Amino acid sequence: MSEHHITPLKTYLIIASLLLFLSGVTVWVSYVDLGPLNIVVAMLVATVKASLVAFFFMHLLWDDKKNLTLFLMSLMFFGIFVTITLLDTEFRGDLGLNPEVKNPINNRAAFYDTLPLTDTHGHPVDGHSDDHDKDKDHH
Amino acid sequence: MSDHNPNAPSHLKHYFHDVNQQYETSKFAMWAFILTEVLTFAGLFVAYIVYRSWYPDMFVDAHKLLDVNKGLTNTIVLITSSLTMALAIWAIQKNNKKLSVFMLVATFIFALAFLGIKYLEYSHKFEVGQLPGLYYSYMGPDAMHLNNPHIFFSIYFIMTGLHGLHVAIGMGLIAWLIYSTQKGNLTSEYYTPMEMIGIFWHLVDLIWIYLFPLFYLIG
Amino acid sequence: MSENKKQNYLNHPKGLMSWILTLDHKRIGLMYLVSGILFFFLGGLLALVMRFELAAPGNDVISNEVYNNAYTLHGAIMIFLFIIPAIPGALGNILLPLMVGAKDVAFPRLNLASFYIYSFGALFAMYTIINGGVDTGWTFYTPYSTQSSSNVVPMTLGIFIIGFSSILTGLNFIATIHKMRIPGLTWYKLPLFVWALYGTSLVQITATPVLAITMVLLMLERFLGIGIFDPALGGDPVLYQHFFWFYSHPAVYIMILPAFGIISEIIPVHSRKKIWGYKFIAYSTLSIAFIGFLVWGHHMFTSGQSVFSQIVFSFITYFVGIPTGVKIFSWILTMYKGQVSFTPPMMYALAFLFLFTIGGLTGIFLGAVALDIHLHDTYFVVAHFHYVMQGGTIVAFLGGLHHWWPKSFGVMYNQTVANIAALGVFIGFNGTFFPQFLLGLRGMPRRYATYDEQFVELHSYSTFWSGILGLSIFLAIMNLFWSFIRKNKVDPGSNPWGGMSLEWTHTSSPPHPHNFEEEPVLQHGPYDYDKVIVEKTYNK
Repeated sequence: MSEHHITPLKTYLIIASLLLFLSGVTVWVSYVDLGPLNIVVAMLVATVKASLVAFFFMHLLWDDKKNLTLFLMSLMFFGIFVTITLLDTEFRGDLGLNPEVKNPINNRAAFYDTLPLTDTHGHPVDGHSDDHDKDKDHH
Repeated sequence: MSDHNPNAPSHLKHYFHDVNQQYETSKFAMWAFILTEVLTFAGLFVAYIVYRSWYPDMFVDAHKLLDVNKGLTNTIVLITSSLTMALAIWAIQKNNKKLSVFMLVATFIFALAFLGIKYLEYSHKFEVGQLPGLYYSYMGPDAMHLNNPHIFFSIYFIMTGLHGLHVAIGMGLIAWLIYSTQKGNLTSEYYTPMEMIGIFWHLVDLIWIYLFPLFYLIG
Repeated sequence: MSENKKQNYLNHPKGLMSWILTLDHKRIGLMYLVSGILFFFLGGLLALVMRFELAAPGNDVISNEVYNNAYTLHGAIMIFLFIIPAIPGALGNILLPLMVGAKDVAFPRLNLASFYIYSFGALFAMYTIINGGVDTGWTFYTPYSTQSSSNVVPMTLGIFIIGFSSILTGLNFIATIHKMRIPGLTWYKLPLFVWALYGTSLVQITATPVLAITMVLLMLERFLGIGIFDPALGGDPVLYQHFFWFYSHPAVYIMILPAFGIISEIIPVHSRKKIWGYKFIAYSTLSIAFIGFLVWGHHMFTSGQSVFSQIVFSFITYFVGIPTGVKIFSWILTMYKGQVSFTPPMMYALAFLFLFTIGGLTGIFLGAVALDIHLHDTYFVVAHFHYVMQGGTIVAFLGGLHHWWPKSFGVMYNQTVANIAALGVFIGFNGTFFPQFLLGLRGMPRRYATYDEQFVELHSYSTFWSGILGLSIFLAIMNLFWSFIRKNKVDPGSNPWGGMSLEWTHTSSPPHPHNFEEEPVLQHGPYDYDKVIVEKTYNK
């Protein structure tokens, strides 16, 4: 099968270094407070990394374009799934008939009330087991 | 088959015309399989997005309970294993069996390292009770104000767990590749299984590339 | 001739193991067909039990709990064990490689594996029945499905497993259609059944993974209380419906697209006329497959989803009507001035046109939010989807069986009996389900084991005709089966309907184990009745 494209070794090494570099960048950026832009930057970097993997490691760049089409199709259907689901979840109660519907699920689950407070190792902490005390401590 | 070429290589199945058709068909089907994999994870990403938009503060604070260093180490391990996998294919294309086997073994070891680090992370979470659903019991000082953190950990465990399952499956496949390359079944003439498993392995890497910032690096 | 008799896929090679381990797509297709029909009878039996329960309001044929199990299992068996696997798995497997001129599908081992995965999943479904059933409805809506003490986990596990079989079949077919066509068989020369299978397979591989993950989340919700779908744990049950219908609405097109393909084959062959609007039909298949992914929320108009998404879903739903209408008009125009012969396959195709049109149009009613809020969860919905699923898919499936029966098995059934059965199916079907439209409009809710006095007349009509429908389907299948027992053989070279695609012109009946004795060379398109004359050859 000599007709197959053989990617030069240099390409692989450059791509891998780029991936490692971008992983560093994404960690570094996460400590910089950009507000809502943090998630955008993180996803952009991840997408650049993912494209590098897909085009070079997975050989999509040199492959039959049908394979690329299948891959992009999967992303398109994922996009449809997210977008249309968000049309519901982000717009609940948008007619203002019942404003409580806006946040349908913000109630704390009941089982938390019976959980004892713990330290960072997960061990129960004595004396602070009820909510009243906890509130006082905070004031 | 009467019309079958008796000189055809042994790996050519009788219902294909030629080696190239067989190779391209396998690869095309592999990409169709990748599509199904992406959409399997898509369901979980949708759950993540929906719940993150419903519980933005809880997600930001709950992610601080994860260990960024371990996450970053795993990212580096997985990217390196992706490189060694690609190099294994490169080596077999150059008919360098020894180097190919070496690279596959390296990939296997990196995969093992990934699961090892994952195990350390999980066992810590089990110890302190940062568990999915009703098994969540961690009420430490950095978590008692959180609203329903069990949902964050449910999604975290399901997504990284499914990803870890893929790593484990990938390890099984790579072990088989090591065996058949060592035996000389795969050569520069026929290395389709390695190419396919390579694509699978890179997908595992690709999904982790998104999981890492989404869980460990929430701004 | 005697050479041919020795060499066909049914008798060569011999032995039980040669069937169990076969890689031959035709044998695998036959195994799908047999298991599919068995499940069809099982599901049909459950339906008849429900109809007898509903014959009168005070009936106590079965208890209310058993009734809940019956409708759940009827739905789950018919959809996951019969309709979704049956047409692609049986007819698709047998015909696809023949139609594209290949010796087999692209991955025969995978094909066998997907049959066994399907059987394995079916075992879980059977276990569910033996172990006392499941009572959530086939949709497994949360939060009830996370609380019900019935066998939700075995059933969802079974569906999860069968999903893999569906994915692998779809993957196999897509690869086959893309890569295994003979030289010269370009996309626009493919039989439309192949286009339909292509659309179906695309939907199978894109939608089914989401079903798999949904079932996993549902099981985890039961085991761990992960809270994603449970309102008591800070989750959202409506999100489950989004997940479920992201698969299950496209799954409706997994069920109906192959039926469209079958009708696109039957009508030109039995009208002996070139299909009208080949490209329109081909592309409408793909556009239905795509639009099918954008409309799932019309199942959720009363679920509490946002008003904004209701409007969007309702709006997009209407678009499904366009490609569907294109198909219906193309089929009708194909028959126009053709030599229509009322053979059994054509009888089913005509029944399909009538029944599916009603099913499709009532779907437009239900796509309107305002109307749906009134009709949701009533018998109107029940009647609508039975007109589509049974009047559409199953009628087309029966038509396809009759059409390709002599080709697949080399035997011919009694055509008069087949025509009588087809007529019985058509009348019995309308008698059963048309009254249900009226029941729904008058407010009869679905999934109830009893009802108010005012509905008694329509319900008893429905029950009476459901008996006729059941008998007719039984007669149709037995007639086919009987031809097999009686060995009422057709000539191996026969082409009883005068079909023009490769499976009719280049293979014997039943086909050779390797499909074609020599690699076929394409001489004409599948519907070139205006250019070439193909004789109907038939030895009876």
